[in-house]
Amino acid sequence: MASDSGQDGLTRRELLRRVGLMAGGSVMYQAMNSLALAAESPWKGPTELKGAPPGASVLILGAGMAGMTAAYELRNAGYKVQVLEFNNRAGGRNWTLHGGDRYTELGGETQHCEFDPGLYINPGPWRIPYHHHGILSYCKRLGVALEPFVQVNYNALLHGSKAFGGKPQRFREIKADYQGQVAELLAKATHQHALDSLVTREDQERLLESLRGWGALDSDFRYVAGDVSGERRGYLKPPGGGLTARPESGTPIQLDDILQSGLWRGVSSGDHYDMQTALFQPVGGMGRIGEAFGRELAGLIRYQAKVTSIQQDAAGVTVHYDDASKPGVSQTARADWCLCTIPLPILAEIPMNVGEQLGAAIGAVPYASSVKVGLQFKRRFWEEDDHIFGGISYTDLPITNIGYPSTGFHANGKGVLLGAYIWGLNAMEFTSMTPGERVQKAVEYGSQIHPQYKTEFDNGVAVAWHRVPFTQGCYGMWTTEARARHYDDLCAIDGRIALAGEHASFIGGWQEGAVTSALDAVGRLHQRAVAQGASA
Amino acid sequence: MRRTLLWLIPMLCLWLVPAFADDSSFPDTPGQDPVQSGEQIYMQICQGCHMPAGQGAVGAGHYPALGGDAALAAWKYPVLTVLGGRHGMPPFGLPATSLALQELRTVHLSDAQIANVVNYIRTSFGNHYPDMVSEAQVAALPHPGRR
Repeated sequence: MASDSGQDGLTRRELLRRVGLMAGGSVMYQAMNSLALAAESPWKGPTELKGAPPGASVLILGAGMAGMTAAYELRNAGYKVQVLEFNNRAGGRNWTLHGGDRYTELGGETQHCEFDPGLYINPGPWRIPYHHHGILSYCKRLGVALEPFVQVNYNALLHGSKAFGGKPQRFREIKADYQGQVAELLAKATHQHALDSLVTREDQERLLESLRGWGALDSDFRYVAGDVSGERRGYLKPPGGGLTARPESGTPIQLDDILQSGLWRGVSSGDHYDMQTALFQPVGGMGRIGEAFGRELAGLIRYQAKVTSIQQDAAGVTVHYDDASKPGVSQTARADWCLCTIPLPILAEIPMNVGEQLGAAIGAVPYASSVKVGLQFKRRFWEEDDHIFGGISYTDLPITNIGYPSTGFHANGKGVLLGAYIWGLNAMEFTSMTPGERVQKAVEYGSQIHPQYKTEFDNGVAVAWHRVPFTQGCYGMWTTEARARHYDDLCAIDGRIALAGEHASFIGGWQEGAVTSALDAVGRLHQRAVAQGASA
Repeated sequence: MRRTLLWLIPMLCLWLVPAFADDSSFPDTPGQDPVQSGEQIYMQICQGCHMPAGQGAVGAGHYPALGGDAALAAWKYPVLTVLGGRHGMPPFGLPATSLALQELRTVHLSDAQIANVVNYIRTSFGNHYPDMVSEAQVAALPHPGRR
């Protein structure tokens, strides 16, 4: 791997080619990302659409991130814009539950969020990486204040229910000990000439030097207890001042124990492109973005409007909808063009006259099962007792994550954790429970990691995305095969209708996917409108 | 080294698929559901959407009610739906070790499990279809991800 054209080893290009052959383009794309050939962000700076044909109108379905991005840009370009939204708020999955909020899920269970003032949980997106330029640019333009989101916390925990007797380990120790001993192994292999055919003699010297630095090895290329490793893994007794100053080193965890524990899986969590520092969160909750968009577009959005049919003809698009405030009377909206951001599980059931290809694409994307649980505790024990300020602990228990708040450090009074972020079969099981049972299970599991749960738990809310009335699932899941067959059809303009949303992006489940998909769609819609506007 | 890297390729696939919007560091419950009985599978998976009494639900869209659903009269319809999914509903018939199963983060049910859960649905919630579906009948139908 040292060179791109080694005779013995696979070249990086060849590796990519084989990955591509085996698993199709999207995996290859991801492999490229991981091998540092990452594609450029599609973001090209603020869109400045101009020159809508006189009187041209667009009807936008859905006031989530995609719909409101589109509404904002099209309005600025001079279109007559109206937005229909099922909920009585703007934002869609951009959503924050605060104390006092009420949420009724499919099946009829209503939860009353009882968090203290200022405390919240984001049932949907909760972080924005620095390279999600699109959503960040709207935060800036809409005046949404941001603060750091702590992703990696070296003092957070890695927990395997069957590892180390179920005792959670500090991320810092697992990372340092894993990396240090891997470095030591590589140094040994180098010294034993096992790498001679792969690395030149001169580079072996450089490699050894880098391994010493990377792994915190001593002068003999060993990873051992002491000051050098202590500066990575921390201390049994940390250095201090005065007569109690002398540090005491802890004993590194043996590599075979780390390997067998599986906790090494947690080490790279912050290395993923989407999780790399810096990340942000809006001050006051992710929902602040949706609220700001809603204010910006006040008067253009009709809330509590449930779309029941979408019909296009040669001159425009007619949408029928039910207005929850005027039950029993079907309402009609019409425009020259329609940008539809309705999540696919819902759109698939709405009568709509589009071509066979788009129709097939709409029905080809299952939505992920996912559950988030927010737990309020009587005090911020994770800070007071465990010295964890923000970040995430990972576990192999069904809750998978415990997310600590990135704000309000040292605050007296109560605090709210993300007590579970669940996927797959576990999410299906949790979805099948009542909200109260989900909260109770999250507390039970979490108390294996933080025993303080048992005495400090106060109240909680649980959102299961398959029970969310406005999405019926968390986000669109594409197989490589389905993407190859349907993705372009899903994004193509069909007559006078275009689709947008995270489902029409390669950044599934992220707000950036919704924003960039909307910008792409309105750009193409605008071109077409201008072309037809001139001839009409 | 060549051997090492070739071994790496399937590993890369397993690793790289989850470019997901979350970072659960440990793999989801491996694709297979251990539960066998139709009722248990229903309570564990299906009722999340179709609800505990099979009554379905209505929001911006809807989940169909399973009680009295005429589409259940022919057993092939529910079996094909569970195998391949339908619209937003994930498929449950993908091979247990397939890439697609990981990409969709869904669950693999065996042919016997699918027969059990379909039989449960067709004899619950007021349904009384007498013809039981067998594992072999499920096996004979087209499965997603199978060539």
